[in-house]
Amino acid sequence: MAHRWGMAVDLDRCTGCEACVTACRAENNIPTVGDLQASRGRAIHWIRVERYFEGEFPDVKVNYRPVMCQQCDAAPCEPVCPTYASHHNDEGLNAQVYNRCIGTRYCANACPYNVRFFDFFNPVWEKPMHLQLNPDVSLREVGVMEKCTFCVQRIAAGKDAAAADKREVKDGDIKPACVQGCPSKALVFGDLNDPESEVSRLAESPRGTKLLEDLGTAPKVTYLQGVEHA
Amino acid sequence: MDRRTFIKLTAITGTSATLASCGVPEHQIIRFVPDEELVPGVAEWKPSVCPLCSAGCGLNVRVMMADVDVTKDGQSGVVRKGVAKKLEGFPTHPISQGGLCARGQAAIQITYHPDRIVQPLKRTGGRTSGTFEPITWDQAIGEVVGKLDALAGADNTKALAILTGGRRSHRRLLFDQFAARFGAPAPIVYELFSDDLLRRANQLSFGAAQLPTFDLANANYVLAFGADFLGTWNAPVAQAAAFGQMRRGRVGVRGALVQVEARMTPTGATADEWVAAKPGTEGVLALGLAHVIMRDKLHPTDSGRAGALIDGWSAGLPDYNPDRVASITGVAARRVERLAHDFAQREPSVAIVGGVPLAHTNGLFTALAVNALNELVGAVSRKGGLSFTPQLVHAPAAARSSLAQFAAGVVPQVLVVDDVNPVFGAPRAMKVREALVKVPFIVAFGHVVDETNVLADLILPDHTFLESWVDALPESGSAQAVVSVAAPAMKPLFDTRATGDVLLQVASKLQKPIDLGATTYDAYVKAALAPLGDEAWSTAQKQAGWWGDLPKGAAAPSTGADAKPSPVTFVDPSFNGEAGEYPLQFLPYPSAAFYDGSLAHLPWLQELPDPMTSAMWSSWVELNPKTAERLGIGLGDVVEVTSMNGAVKAPAFLNPALSPDIVAMPVGQGHTNFTRYASGRGVNPIDILAPVTHEDTGTLAWAATRVKVARVSEPDGRLIMFSARGELRENPHEGETR
Repeated sequence: MAHRWGMAVDLDRCTGCEACVTACRAENNIPTVGDLQASRGRAIHWIRVERYFEGEFPDVKVNYRPVMCQQCDAAPCEPVCPTYASHHNDEGLNAQVYNRCIGTRYCANACPYNVRFFDFFNPVWEKPMHLQLNPDVSLREVGVMEKCTFCVQRIAAGKDAAAADKREVKDGDIKPACVQGCPSKALVFGDLNDPESEVSRLAESPRGTKLLEDLGTAPKVTYLQGVEHA
Repeated sequence: MDRRTFIKLTAITGTSATLASCGVPEHQIIRFVPDEELVPGVAEWKPSVCPLCSAGCGLNVRVMMADVDVTKDGQSGVVRKGVAKKLEGFPTHPISQGGLCARGQAAIQITYHPDRIVQPLKRTGGRTSGTFEPITWDQAIGEVVGKLDALAGADNTKALAILTGGRRSHRRLLFDQFAARFGAPAPIVYELFSDDLLRRANQLSFGAAQLPTFDLANANYVLAFGADFLGTWNAPVAQAAAFGQMRRGRVGVRGALVQVEARMTPTGATADEWVAAKPGTEGVLALGLAHVIMRDKLHPTDSGRAGALIDGWSAGLPDYNPDRVASITGVAARRVERLAHDFAQREPSVAIVGGVPLAHTNGLFTALAVNALNELVGAVSRKGGLSFTPQLVHAPAAARSSLAQFAAGVVPQVLVVDDVNPVFGAPRAMKVREALVKVPFIVAFGHVVDETNVLADLILPDHTFLESWVDALPESGSAQAVVSVAAPAMKPLFDTRATGDVLLQVASKLQKPIDLGATTYDAYVKAALAPLGDEAWSTAQKQAGWWGDLPKGAAAPSTGADAKPSPVTFVDPSFNGEAGEYPLQFLPYPSAAFYDGSLAHLPWLQELPDPMTSAMWSSWVELNPKTAERLGIGLGDVVEVTSMNGAVKAPAFLNPALSPDIVAMPVGQGHTNFTRYASGRGVNPIDILAPVTHEDTGTLAWAATRVKVARVSEPDGRLIMFSARGELRENPHEGETR
């Protein structure tokens, strides 16, 4: 049976610490762009932690929400791509083929979640910072779009390891970098086609919501709401 | 052009490029023979220990082969080396438990920093010139030995001063031992966000001068007074893991978190209820709860030793009735009653105090009050409460000078600086830089040039934690005793040496050699672990540390308590600066990215959006929107914050989760000399702090300064926010369905 990868984010566990943000940068060779480019809105974060203020002092409430590519089943970014760089793969991921991308940025305009990032320049790593680069993840050059892949390299490695052991991929075998690094275990990754998987169980939770689901994007990331004043 | 032609063409151009470079030696890439066995593309995982804070998280380091630029025998080329690619928490380590905070994950950039010091440096110009020339290690060590021998020869060993950071490890014990055996005063330890006041309070209340470990995973109700325990305080990774378990790890039980503070920390943002008590009155609220609990007999009163330290405890704290507490703290009397009932009845409950409340001048009172509250509900040494992690060794209780005493005291002849940057991290008014400039000879260890070691005569570059033996002595975060230790995860990139090894070498080369029991740092740590049994050393190396029950006789003795401390009562916190002229309280706080500023040189952390503001690469000043409106200040406007001790200018951020009486600024930016990424960026709020210290511990009361704020100009673009892209929508529930 084909896999269908999904994620659950338990907002009741999330502390807004941004460990996921740094883990993603380390894993996926995401360049830092510097202050000038960042001030032009060109900083790249495949995952970010959104913060919402509610109310006024002293009755103030803050909510955090980690947001990454929602890997939509009906992804608005895919049909608008003239080169099929942005496409749906067999396992339900919104994949991006960098060397097909011609940088029209239509996909970024179409994405309601603001999770696609354009490379405005070739990335630079001052030596010896290049030694940190993950050889399993390709570098993106100027003029292409990049985005969260659910750490497709880790998915591939997990499947290879299982195949080498002559077994199926088990729930929990594969963890994207953000899931692996999360101190409070707020992020859960797994196969939505496996009804026994943790992520399938959480996707059915009465606390579960999807981000901007009314747009019909059918996201594969479930947000589990916190409970106020329990 | 078709594909075939293209390949032909590239083949030709490629070949000619190769041919052309043949005649020119500098165009050739020389490949040296690697001395490591590694398979290309296959990752090896090696344990290590995070060196960034005192938590002592065990790491799992992904090591893979890469081409490293090296110079061998004057010839530059590349060699294949196993290098660290990613840091993760070691899965079974009791502190990290597989997770790792944002700062810890970025620690890998310390090793690969382009501004690392690659060989020993000797200053060539005057003390403040900042000009250095490279020298050899033999020269460098010879010079240090010469200076120390001269002191010993003149029978003046007391003129050696050592200044270190507060991270707890064998390295600090080694410096302590070196100082004691040489005949120098005990090293001065400086941490901006020191927890010494809490250690002192815990010694008085519980007879344990250490930070507590909280069993959050089994708690049902957690009441935190200012402690950002999920972000920057104590052992955040271990605490966040337990917090996740407390909230959603148990069937049918969800623990609640109530946070008391006047500026919302990320922990407060995660809380179920946020209580904005007036800053510096948190202890009164704690005693108000204790009053109600005793009055309503919600819990069998255990009038133990922590309670006896509070004036009026045995009489049921009549001075802390809800009405009076309400008038002092600003928390309504009814709410005090409810919090008290919840705290007493939703057992197991525990109170946590740390951070800002203890940075007020009455911090010791606040800590003792919260300790007494914990004791009242039986939270001490109980499941779901707090405990004190057994320790293999305690930091020596030697009487130490504080940094302030050092700066105002007798100038030493020789100063050794390790793992601390007080020129940046102490208030200007403490005049640390002025004191350093007077020292005849300074030797500093470090990875990059910073504001303190740039004043040194010699800079001895340290291996990074990935290149050397590394250890930590976690004092909290796990109920079991833990010693984190790991071997080098990779070979050094440059001509650097491990500071522990250098110190041991210096000790052995003195005219009157000092025997510290080992000639290398790993042997020193191994010897220190001997009481844990024969297996401990080899076990520790496989899993980034040793943990378990300490064998009989291996535990450090309890630190004990003073015989009869006098009971404390609430006094208002005092501030530097008249309320008339300086109407606002100034709150510099540990930033989520840079902690105390020691991490501002890492570009990943510079570009990490702050969890509250989403700011990157910037300094900012936080104001309540009402305060800002009154002063005519809008988002991004440049404002000037002035105290009795100076002024800083930075853009404004309007934070509704901040008391209107407070101006808050994150610590971390404002470095003048700290690599290409941090130098000249933003402003340093510590600069304008008053040098107010706690009587008992000599630590800085960093929340005891008053300021005034004035608008200077329109936004000038220096506040860079990730949310400017439009991610932070105003309606938090937008788009949620079901």
